[in-house]
Parts: sequence; C-alpha cells; structure tokens
Amino acid sequence: MRRPRLGRRTTGGRTGRVGGATDAPRIGRSVLHVAGVLGLVYVLLAGSLTYWQVVQADALTLAPGDPLIQAAQETTLPGEILDANGTVLAKSVRLANGSQQREYLDDPSLGPLLGYRSALYGTAGVEAAEDSVLVGLAGESESDLLLRKLRFQPYQPENVVLGIDERLQAETERLMAGRRGAVVAMDPSTGQILALVSSPGFDPNAISNPATATAAFAKLSQDPASPLLDRATQGLFVPGSAFKLVTSIAGLGSGAITPQTTYPDQPAEEKTGFLVDGYRVIDGHHLFTGNLALNYTQALEVSCNIYFAHVGLAVGGAALVQWADRLGFGAPIPFDLPTAVSQVTSGGGPLPGGFKDRVELANAAYGQAEVLVTPLQMALVASAIANGGVLMQPRLVIATANASGTHPIGPSVWRNVIDPATASVIANAMEQAVSSPWGAPFAGLGKVPGVPTAGKTGTAQLGGTGEPHSWFVGFAPVKGAKVAVAVLLERAGSGATEAAPLASKVMADYLALQTSSGSSAP
Amino acid sequence: MTAVPEARPGRAARSSLRSGRAIRPALRRRELALLLIVAATLLVGHASLASTEAGHLTLGNLHLLAAYLGALLVVHVAFIVTGRRMDEILLPVVAMLGGVSLLVMERLPQDLVVQHFGGHAFGLADLQFGWLILSLGLLGALAILVRSDNWLRLYKYTWAAAGIALLLAVFVFGRDVNGAQLNLCVGPICGQPSELVKVILVVFMAGYLADNRELLARASTRVGPFRLPPLPYLVPMGAMLGIALGVVAFQHDLGSALLYFLVFLFLLYIATARLAYVVLGLLVFLAGSAVLYEVYPVVRLRVDIWLNPWADPQGAGYQTLRALYAFGSGGILGTGLGAGLPSAGGAPAIPVIESDFVFAAIGEELGLIGALAILACYLVIAERGMRIAATAQDEFRALLAAGLTLVVVVQAAIIVGGNVRLVPLTGITLPFVSYGGSSLVANAVVVGLLLALSDRGVEPPASPRPRGRAFRIVGERLP
Repeated sequence: MRRPRLGRRTTGGRTGRVGGATDAPRIGRSVLHVAGVLGLVYVLLAGSLTYWQVVQADALTLAPGDPLIQAAQETTLPGEILDANGTVLAKSVRLANGSQQREYLDDPSLGPLLGYRSALYGTAGVEAAEDSVLVGLAGESESDLLLRKLRFQPYQPENVVLGIDERLQAETERLMAGRRGAVVAMDPSTGQILALVSSPGFDPNAISNPATATAAFAKLSQDPASPLLDRATQGLFVPGSAFKLVTSIAGLGSGAITPQTTYPDQPAEEKTGFLVDGYRVIDGHHLFTGNLALNYTQALEVSCNIYFAHVGLAVGGAALVQWADRLGFGAPIPFDLPTAVSQVTSGGGPLPGGFKDRVELANAAYGQAEVLVTPLQMALVASAIANGGVLMQPRLVIATANASGTHPIGPSVWRNVIDPATASVIANAMEQAVSSPWGAPFAGLGKVPGVPTAGKTGTAQLGGTGEPHSWFVGFAPVKGAKVAVAVLLERAGSGATEAAPLASKVMADYLALQTSSGSSAP
Repeated sequence: MTAVPEARPGRAARSSLRSGRAIRPALRRRELALLLIVAATLLVGHASLASTEAGHLTLGNLHLLAAYLGALLVVHVAFIVTGRRMDEILLPVVAMLGGVSLLVMERLPQDLVVQHFGGHAFGLADLQFGWLILSLGLLGALAILVRSDNWLRLYKYTWAAAGIALLLAVFVFGRDVNGAQLNLCVGPICGQPSELVKVILVVFMAGYLADNRELLARASTRVGPFRLPPLPYLVPMGAMLGIALGVVAFQHDLGSALLYFLVFLFLLYIATARLAYVVLGLLVFLAGSAVLYEVYPVVRLRVDIWLNPWADPQGAGYQTLRALYAFGSGGILGTGLGAGLPSAGGAPAIPVIESDFVFAAIGEELGLIGALAILACYLVIAERGMRIAATAQDEFRALLAAGLTLVVVVQAAIIVGGNVRLVPLTGITLPFVSYGGSSLVANAVVVGLLLALSDRGVEPPASPRPRGRAFRIVGERLP
C-alpha cells in the first residue's frame, strides 16, 4: 500500500493553524525554479565547451604553445626553412641515438629571426610562429583532420620558404659588425621581407644542440645586449626625425598642409625657439636657411623641427594618431612574427588622441616625446611612400611546400594610406633630403651611388648624456622602388653619419644582387 | 555510519514495519536495460583504448572492467532481492560516470599515483578501481539499509559539530596538497574531509530549514523603513556555514568554499521561495569575493589567470592553457581514447589531469560529443534528484534530496566551468570521475541516500520532536 504524498499537500492552504503563522510556500515550485537554474548553468557550460572545441579548435591546435606540436617533434622530423633562392637555413637531422636535432646555417643574424628549436627551451622566432606548419599540423582540410585521427602517422611536415635573400641577410649582418640595432629591408611593391637583421645576433645551433644548450642559453639571456630579442619586430625605439615622414603623411593626407605651406614666424623662431605653452621647441641645426620661411619640401630637406611642430599642431592629436594607425601604429602588425605595438603617444591625456598637452603633440610631431616605433614599422612607412601610398601586407613566409607541391603566399594590399600624388610629393622631398645641397649634409651618405634614392634620417635624443639613436628610413630607386629599408643603430650617434651610410650599402647590395642574379623573387 | 534499525515508536511504526518486513523482490527492468547500455558502452571504450595502445584490434586486459561491471550487477541484484522501490535511473548514470573514470585512469600513466600496501605497488587504475568498488558497496548498502531518516534529522547539530570538528582536524593535522591544506591521513590512507563535510552540511541545513522554513519564508525583520527577511533565524545556520567557509578558506580550498555557499543559497531559496535571500546572498558573495581578491594572493592569481591565461603561459596560466589546448585538439569527435593527451617531457601535458582536469582529458579524447554526454549525465542526476525532492513526503526529505543533488551537480559545474574558463578555476573534483577516494566515497554516500529517499515504500517518521511550534505534518496524517 502506498501512502499519499504528504509533503506537498501539508504545505497547501488548509493547515494554517499555529500562532497565526501563515504557511510556507510549496517546495515543489521552488525546486522547479532551482532545477531551471541548474539547466541554464549546464547550457552555459555546454556553450563554453562548444566554443573551445568547435569555434576555437583550429586556432588552439595550431597555436605554438600546443603540447601536441611539441609531442609531434618526438616522432616527426619538422620541415626545413629555406630562403627565397632555396638556400637551406634550417633543417632537422636524426641522430644516432634516435633523437633529433635542428641544424642552422652559420649566420648569427639567423638567431633572432629564425629563433631556435630545442628540446630544452622549446621554440622561438620563425620556428615558433610556423611550428604547426613545420611539424605538419596545419594546412589541412576538415576531412583530412578527420582522416588523421585514423592514421598512425598523423603528421605531414612542410617546408617553409622565407622571402629573405640569405646573401643580403649575411652581408647586412657583417655591416652591423656586432653593433646594437636592426635593419629591415622589404620590397615595397610586394611586401616581401628581403632581410630582417637584429644585432647582436646569436648562433641558434648553440641552443638546438643539447650539449651546449644550457650554457649558451644562460649566457645569451644574461647578456646585457639582449641578443635573444628580435629588435626589428620586438624592439621599441624613439624615432626622432624619421617620424617626420608620418607627420608628413598626416599633414598632407588630411589637407592640414599643402606642399606650399609656410609658417611666416618660423625663421624668427629658429633663433628664439618656437614657444608652445611655455615650452620652447628649438632647432638650430640649419641657421644657413636664413630668413627664408621654409615650404614642406625644404622643411623635410633640412629636417626642420619647428616646421613639423607647427604641422603637428595644425593636424591635431586625434588626426595624427589616426593617420599613424593607418600605417600600422596602435596595434600589433599582422605579420608572421609577433610584433610590438608602435605608438605616437602613451595616451591617457586630455587632448584629442590622448596627448597630455600641446607641448607633447608638438614634440611628437618631430618624433620625440612619447613616440616609440619598431624598425619594421618604419620600413612599412617607407614602403607606403615608395609604393604610391599603397601599403602592402608585409610577408616573411612566401610559400610552404610539401610532397604534394608548393603553396605560394602571394602579395596582397594591406591598406591604402594616401593617394599617389601625395606619396610622390613626399618621395620627392625625401629625394631632395638625400641629394640636394641643403639636404646632403643631413642624409647625403644614404644615397645609393648612381641610383636616385629617397631617405630620411633620424637622430633620436634620449635625454641624459648618452649618444642618440641613429636612424635612416628610405628607398631606392625613387621611381619604381625595388627596396625600402629602415636602419636603426642604438645609441650610435647621428643618423647622418651612422645609419645613413649603412642603409646606402644595404640598398646598393640588394640592387647589385638583383642585377647579377636576375630576380630573386620566386 | 550505520542505519538506525527499523524499530520506531508510534503510529508510523505500523506501516514501516509492514514494508520493512515483507520483502517482496521486484524486478528493475529499466535499471537493467540502462546498465546493459552502460556495459556495452564501456566495453567498446575499453576495446578502443586497448586497440589504440596495442596498434591492432584487441579487447585488452578486461580484468578491472569486468570486475567493475560484476560489482554493478551485484548491486542491481541486491536492489531487486531486497525489493526496494527506488529510482531506477540514478545507478546506471553513476555507473557510467564511474566506468568512464575507470577507462580514463587506465589510459593515464599509471605512475601518476602509486601507493604501496603490503609490499605491493598499486597504480592509478588499481587504486581508483578499489575506491570505485568500495563506493559502489557503500552506495548499495546505504540505499538498501537506510529505512529511516531519524538518525539524520534528529541529530543535525551533532552532525554539524562533527563536520566542523573534521575540518578543524585537517587544520591541525592536515597535509598540504598543491598549496592547499586538504588531506587528513590515517595510516597510509589519506582523505579530504571537505568532501564528507559537504554531505554533513547538507544534512544540517535540511534539518534546520525544515524546522524553521515557515518563519524564514513569511516573517520579516524591520530595519528602519526596510522589511528584511527574519535574519536572526538565519544565525545558527549562518554561523555554521561561516565556520565551514572560514576553515576551508584558510586551507585555500576555494572550490569547497564556493560549493558550500552555493548549495546554502539554493537550499535557502528552495525552503523559502524568497528571492530576497538569493539577492542578499549574492551581494554578500560579491562583497566577500572583493575582500578575498584584495586580501588573498591566491584568489587574485586565480581571477587574473581566468581573465588572461596568456599573460604568463609558462607559469600561472600554464594548466588553464593546457586544458584549452586539449579541448581544441579534441574537436568535435575527439582523438579517441589513448590517441590524444600528448606528453610534455614524459608527463601528461596538463598538470593534475587525473583530478582537477580530468574533464579536459575527456574533452580531448572523447571530443565535444563525449564531454557533452558527461555533462548530460550530471543533468540526469539533477533531474532525478529534483524529482525525488519535489515528490518527497515531507519538508526535511525534500530539502535533503535537493541538497544532496545540488552538492553533486553544482560541484561538477564548478570544476567544469573552471576547465572551460567560464569561471575562475578552483580546485575541486569532478564527482565520480576524478581520481580520489574521498570524493568517490562522499558522492557515493550522496547517491546512496538519494536512492533511499526515493523509495516510496518508506514512511516518514512520526513527529520526532513534539514541540509546541512544530509546523509539521502531524495533523495531516489522518486519512
């Protein structure tokens, strides 16, 4: 015999009787509410699970930190890394004891670029960024992924072809001669990176070889010159006058100035300083321009701080930041390697764009104050001007290859920054800066002999007593540019005497390699 | 813990004696059918694991699984023979979770946990198997033998005191596990009392709320112009909860603290149907969390990892990220048992994979489908438990059934939520699946009691405390 279910009924309306107390609510109803909440919680859990296992599955599987990739290396030899001419930069060999080891071409500039592949220290650089391709987890279709689960050999390693020319890379490394700095050379019309050198470099063989890895890694990570840091993509530096190219793009692009714009007070301000809210922007480097009020081209030729401070104030903080962002500032550049974020200001100030005050804006306009850039970013600025205002997507990897064939990664337009006419005004001013009687003392050593060259130096004052950073940003030839470069030498002195001649040599080397071997582009 | 035998005085004794003495075996067809499905699923899983590991089709070593299935059959037959008219879904669901646990423990490296008894070394799967059998036995014994709940409802303060004493004992004699002071050891066997305490707390809360729920639901405290719930009546329960929370928080056992608090809130709402308590409770929770975030570096670290595990991928965010990679590489169908879970330097890539991150292991090898199936198992437990609560014969049983269900289902949600980065990670086991004796035993007690409560043939007791203001069912029992 089953008893009636009392629990629910007792709480009904019929039992109120003691001390005038009313009845408690039915438990069944609130149990139902709680059950509903639990159901909802589990729907949320299932949703999160689906997010990771379906939406994010590919991204997670191919991420360099995925332990699957690390495990794959125990069974599979990863693919090779080649340069644009087919020179093998990195390859894996199976050792007698069954383990494997990565071997690199003997060129210390390959350390910061390719990184390393080590059983002890994991991967870095291109090895990390292209890990999923090299060990063979990437580039497969959904059906392949399904099939892979049924195979016992699940990995199909691929080779990675870089756009760099190892001859240029090695020669540039030699030119740097152990000095701290970075060089980025790219083809402005395709975005292909031709050389990416961070100095001092290191020999990745020392880390990939387990016998020397521990000592080598300890030494490198404690070295005050930070050889493990890829300065070209990860280093942030004050650009000094090289940033005037960005201010030019903002000024001419926004219409705040024309090539004919002059500031009548500027000649007088050369002597007394340009007073901005109590701060004096001083110049003093080109008193020989006398009482002439400079126009845009002349101002770039002599690298006039006061002129560009005026331009910055005319453009305004918001527009200056906005135009810089179009060139790649303000966010990581979508590139094969991780990039540091270049900035015009640290932000947070009350003025539009986040500037603290007009003084900061005026100083930022000629590359001081809080402006910080990566050498790669400055190479993009030069490329955009060289390529008629069209900024190409920078590419380090130009193809992947496996047994079934080569899969090229072609050029693509990243952004249309300015119109071709404006680009040509700036390019012309940059050519004058390298070649004209007024400009030559500043940037003349950047000229490639026999080739029309465009360029802009930078001498970044860092405060204190140390030497400034030395910059040169430019391209050659001026029309139909084949190569754009950004050269940075840390605390090396003025841009004119240090970075400019090195940039000239790098561009000349590349143009010579081009004529001797035809096109190195695939 | 033994059940108080049948002899009870008064009116209730008549019918309960009748149902207690006249044992009439009753077939449990639905349970059998579901158990057969569970057995088939586990056999296929085992064969798939063995074949992957061997590289060719094989059934592998079936000893442990066969013994486990045999134990299930024994429990099932015991239920039939003793004629209990209990829920027929809960046992198969728990059997499925336990079976998956056994497969996962067989698949993981056996040296993750090794214990020595009498000169023999036992690895992960052996130990988990032992605990599973013990838990099944306990579950079956409780379901069959518990015919009265007087021993629970009469001594709620004693239980509560025992629970707090247990927690304090850990505080004094405990051993550290991963930076949290959780373990209490008796000889070679160590346990986490916080697992058992959760059951004890539920018993106490159910007892207290059953006695006082009408007051809590209807009366109010006036504070100036505000009408608040009658907070003084919450003091005994609040104090007990506060002590428990305090103790586990000091032991850095954040998962248990969170579990206790959530179950408390849910039960309070079930007893009173007053949303005000929940709102008040959540405000207290937010304020408490803010204070903990400021005061406790552990809490701050957990929250920071939750917000951005990529900030320190090789350090603080390591295990959270590794779990996400596991989910990602599992995808929809999973890698298959034995084919995923890459090792990093000889050990599984995810730390504590056998316990806190066992759900990530399932997500990788059984895929989204398998992981969702595990979640569905907990939802089935929730549905059965809440049904038992809704149809219970009196308030105490309803609250006890709801509370027991909640400790399992909410605990699973807390750790799964931590695994999938829906909430910050707090270390707690996945009921019936994670490795660990205390967790299995405590959750077996929970389900054993739930099964006993689901038996319609068992009387509720006569009013055990004939006090003046008892809002109980005495009057209603007249036909």
